[in-house]
Order: sequence, then C-alpha cells, then structure tokens
Amino acid sequence: MLAFRSTLREEGDRESVTHTHLVVESLERILMDVTQAETGQRGYILTGDEKYLKPFKDDVRKVQQDAEQFGQLTSDNPRQQEAIQQLTPVVAARVAGLKLRLEIRKRSGLLVAAEAVASGDNGEELMEGIRGRIGEMRHTEERLLASRLSVAAFSAQKVKVIIVVGNVLALLILLAAGFVIHRETGRRNLAEQGLKSINERLERRTMELSETNHELESFSYSVAHDLRAPLRQIAGYSNVLSKDHGPSLDAEARRYLEKIDEGARKMGRLVDDLLSLSKVGRQEILLQATALDSLLRQVVEELEPEYLGREVEWRIGDLFSADCDPGLMKQVFVHLLSNAVKYTRKRENAVIEVGQMRQNDQRVFFIRDNGVGFEMQYVSKLFGVFQRLHKARDFEGTGVGLAIVQRIIRKHGGQIWAEAKLNEGATFFFTLGSPESHTKERSERAKDQEVINVA
Amino acid sequence: MSHEVEILLVDDSPEDVELTVLALRRNKLSNDIQVAEDGAEALDFLFCRGPHADRTFSNPPKLVLLDLKLPKVDGLEVLKAIREDERTKTIPVVILTSSKEQRDLIDGYNLGVSAYIQKPVDFDQFSETIRQIGMFWLLINQPPPAGALVASKAKGA
Repeated sequence: MLAFRSTLREEGDRESVTHTHLVVESLERILMDVTQAETGQRGYILTGDEKYLKPFKDDVRKVQQDAEQFGQLTSDNPRQQEAIQQLTPVVAARVAGLKLRLEIRKRSGLLVAAEAVASGDNGEELMEGIRGRIGEMRHTEERLLASRLSVAAFSAQKVKVIIVVGNVLALLILLAAGFVIHRETGRRNLAEQGLKSINERLERRTMELSETNHELESFSYSVAHDLRAPLRQIAGYSNVLSKDHGPSLDAEARRYLEKIDEGARKMGRLVDDLLSLSKVGRQEILLQATALDSLLRQVVEELEPEYLGREVEWRIGDLFSADCDPGLMKQVFVHLLSNAVKYTRKRENAVIEVGQMRQNDQRVFFIRDNGVGFEMQYVSKLFGVFQRLHKARDFEGTGVGLAIVQRIIRKHGGQIWAEAKLNEGATFFFTLGSPESHTKERSERAKDQEVINVA
Repeated sequence: MSHEVEILLVDDSPEDVELTVLALRRNKLSNDIQVAEDGAEALDFLFCRGPHADRTFSNPPKLVLLDLKLPKVDGLEVLKAIREDERTKTIPVVILTSSKEQRDLIDGYNLGVSAYIQKPVDFDQFSETIRQIGMFWLLINQPPPAGALVASKAKGA
C-alpha cells in the first residue's frame, strides 16, 4: 500500500519535469519570436520588399501567443507570474521600436531608415533586457525542476525505504501470524484431545450400556428358564400328588395341594407376562401397512373361549389400515379386548364396541365396554406394572397387560388413555403417532381399494 | 430283536425327567425311554460309542426330546451334530424347553429341528402337550425304514 502510494508520487514527479520542459520551451519561443521579428524588420528596411512584412507580423502575433501560454503554464507560480508581467512591457517596447522603424522605411525610404537604425535607439538595450529576463525566468524554472527532481529522488529513496520497511513489517506480521496459528493449532489439538477423550468415554459408556443391556437380556432369559423350571416342578408334583394319591389324602390335605397348584399357576402367568413386557421393551418394531379390521376380527375369534356361553354384542366399526407392527398391534387388541370381555362378565347384555374417530386432527381408536368400569381417581395407576383396580377375588389378572399395551403404543409414537365410570363401563383410547399420519393418505387409498375389491 | 428305544429324553434335571416320564406314563407312551443327563451322554448314545458302543445305527430312537440348557454339550450343539451326520440326520428332534427366546427359536429351526415346544408350567397342559407329541411322532408319523440310511450311505460311499 505504501509502495503503491510512492509509485503514484513518482509519476507526479515525472509530470512536473515534463511541465518544466514545456515552460522553458515557451520561454525560448518568446526569445526566438522577438529575434525573428527583428530579422524580418531588417529585411524590409534593407530591401523594402513586402514579403518580409508578413513574417514580421506573424512573429509579433506569436510573441503575444507564447507569452500568454507561458502565463497559463506558470499560473500556479507567483514568481514567474510576476516575471512575465515585467517581461511583457519590455517585449512590447521592443516590438513597438521595430514597428516604428518599419513605418520610417515605408514613409521616408531606405536612407532615412538606415540613418535611424544607425543613430540607434534603445533596441539593443531592450533586447538585452529581454534576454536577461528570459534567462532569469529559465533559471527559476530550472531551479524549480531541480528541487522537484530532488524531491523525486527523495521520494524514490522513500519508496525503497518503504519497501524495505514494508518487507520487514510483512515478515513480522507473518511471524506473528505463524505464532498465532501455532498457538491456535496447539489449542485445537488440546480441544481435539479433549473431544477424543470424551468420545472414548462415550464409547466406553455405550459399551457398558450395551453390556448392561446384554446382562438384562440374559437375566430375563434366566428368569424364563431357571425360574420357570422349579415352578413347573411345584405345579407338576402337586398335580401328580393330588391326581395319583388324592383318594388316600383327607379333604384338607387335598385343599392345600390345590392351593399350591393355584399359586404355581399364578406365578407362572406372572413370569410369562413379565417376560412379554421385557420382550416388548427389547423388541424392534417393524412397521407395515396393516388392515386393522381383519386383525381385530381375528382377535375376537381367538378370544372366543373366554366368552363362551355368554351373550356378547360386538360392535366393530370401520377401521382403516395403519402403519404398525402387526404382531405388537395384535397384542394390544388381545389385551384390551380380553379386558373388555373380562370386566363385562357380570353383565347380562355385554356390549363391546371398537371404532375410530377424529380428534384434534388425529385418528383415535377406541374400545368401549359396558362392564364394571373403575373410579377415575385411580386412572393414573391404570397402566402401571402390577397395578390393579379390582380385587383378585372379583377379577383375576397379573396387572401387567395394560403396561404392555402402553409400552407398545408408545413404541409406535402414540398415546393411550382411558375414561370410565364405576359400574357403567370403560373406554380406552389410543393413537398411533406420526408414522400413521404420514401414511394416512396411502392407507385410505388402500381402504378404497379394499372397498372396490369387495364390490 | 434288540432292545428298541423309542424316545431319547435329554434333560439334566431329574425332576423334569421324572415329570416328563410321569406325563408319558399317564398317556401310556412310556414303553422305552432312554434318558441322557447332558449333551455328551446324548451324543454317545446316538453315535453308538462309549457305554453305548454295542448299539447300531440301524436302530435309531423314534424321537429325541431335547432340552436346550444342558451341561457339557448344549442342546443346539447336540442338534447340530445330529443333523450334520448322514447316519443320524433324519431322526426327529423336538426341542422341549423352558425358553421361548426368539434367538433360540431361530437357531433351532436354522439347525433343522423338527418341532419347538415350550414346556407349560401347568402340569395338565404339559401332560396334554406330551401326549400330542408322543401320539404324533410315535404313532402317526412314518419314520424312514430302519437301516435304510446306513445302507444308502454305504452305497454312496
């Protein structure tokens, strides 16, 4: 930047040198014009030939022009302006003298004119004055040029200094930048190391977690195998004892055996339900477009042994297809419908209704029964593991079913809730979350297709 | 005619063995049962070696009831050995276990198990299950002709 500015200044210096040359040139032209005018005048006086008059006149005009040009060129120099103002009258006087002798020659002929030339006038003096002044002016201009050139030389020197200083500065900046980069790199390396160690810790943690997960898996596997095995033995031996040796036992002994058998069965169901709960937790869901009504009808059919001999009115509305895991969704329907069957057991005209509705722009599925219901103040306990709102004496169960249902619905990104009134019935509502809404259009198209196929 | 074993029961728990035998007896299927308490014993019996060196391959059991969790050689390894050998590969093997783990089911079927049954806790249900298994594999199912496999293997070799 500094070097660039100096280069600009150098150019300016060159311009002023050119300017000085122009000024000096115009000064020399003035002197030449006057001299030529004098020569022209002499020629006419000697010969009386008119042809000398025209160059004379031209030279006189040129003198004026050149003086004006000089004035313009040095308009910024007060000293030269003053000098030209002093020179102009001298030149004018000399020209006037020349013109006077021309008039004498015209009017009185060669002899008189020659005599006038010979008698002399102040012409030579004037000429000397003109030469002297022009010489001075030229000198002034040349001094000016010299000072300008020295300035130029100085500025050239300055350019060199600036370049050297600039280079040194650039080097310093580079060093500083290098230092900063070095420091930043150091910091970044530190940060990277920090990040690496965090990553390593995270990896370790993930590994620990997956190990824990694995341990949990083997734990539930052990529960399945090792806990079920002794349980089966208790149930087995008590069963064999009561069947094979029942007749030789008294009534109380047989009742105790029945209790052992009953307890073992109950524990078996509990273990199995807990296993399916943990299985749902571990299982990955596989979404696929599923026709919910056919799934539902299948479940109703499979549950038949549970309501055999009873009057149950099934009201199954139209259900569209939904993107869900069919196996898990079947479990949802099995638990919710067998609950409905179980809790309407004491109704003479049991009604179980399944349908869907729209609420807040979401598809909501519902399962409604007119069974014993429950008190809404306990609704928060409904989906907890081992939580039951009914006495085991009235309604059997492990209290795991609804926990499984909730886990499955949540895995689908949906929600489940319930409304009930004691002795009037209960309604379970659930949504299937975002995957279902994404494919709503497609599912409904699929539904249309089904209708067409039926038609 | 040599002593013919109908069922090889592979289970390390004497109580489970007893209950299974009781269930078989209850269903009148308890004619000839050989019990192996671990996988190694089962393989010795099936491959006619060690204490069973006097057996021949031409008289395989009609059914192997196999538990999965066994000492020494586990159930799936026993199954693998049975299916990999030309002389034993057609023997019906039913896994009878406490586990219903998906992994075990998949591994079992990949190794060519004939059926996979989880033992019910309830003894009446267990007894009914044993009855159906016995009925099917011992009475309904038609096994390959005795000695045919050994012969065909000899011909092939």
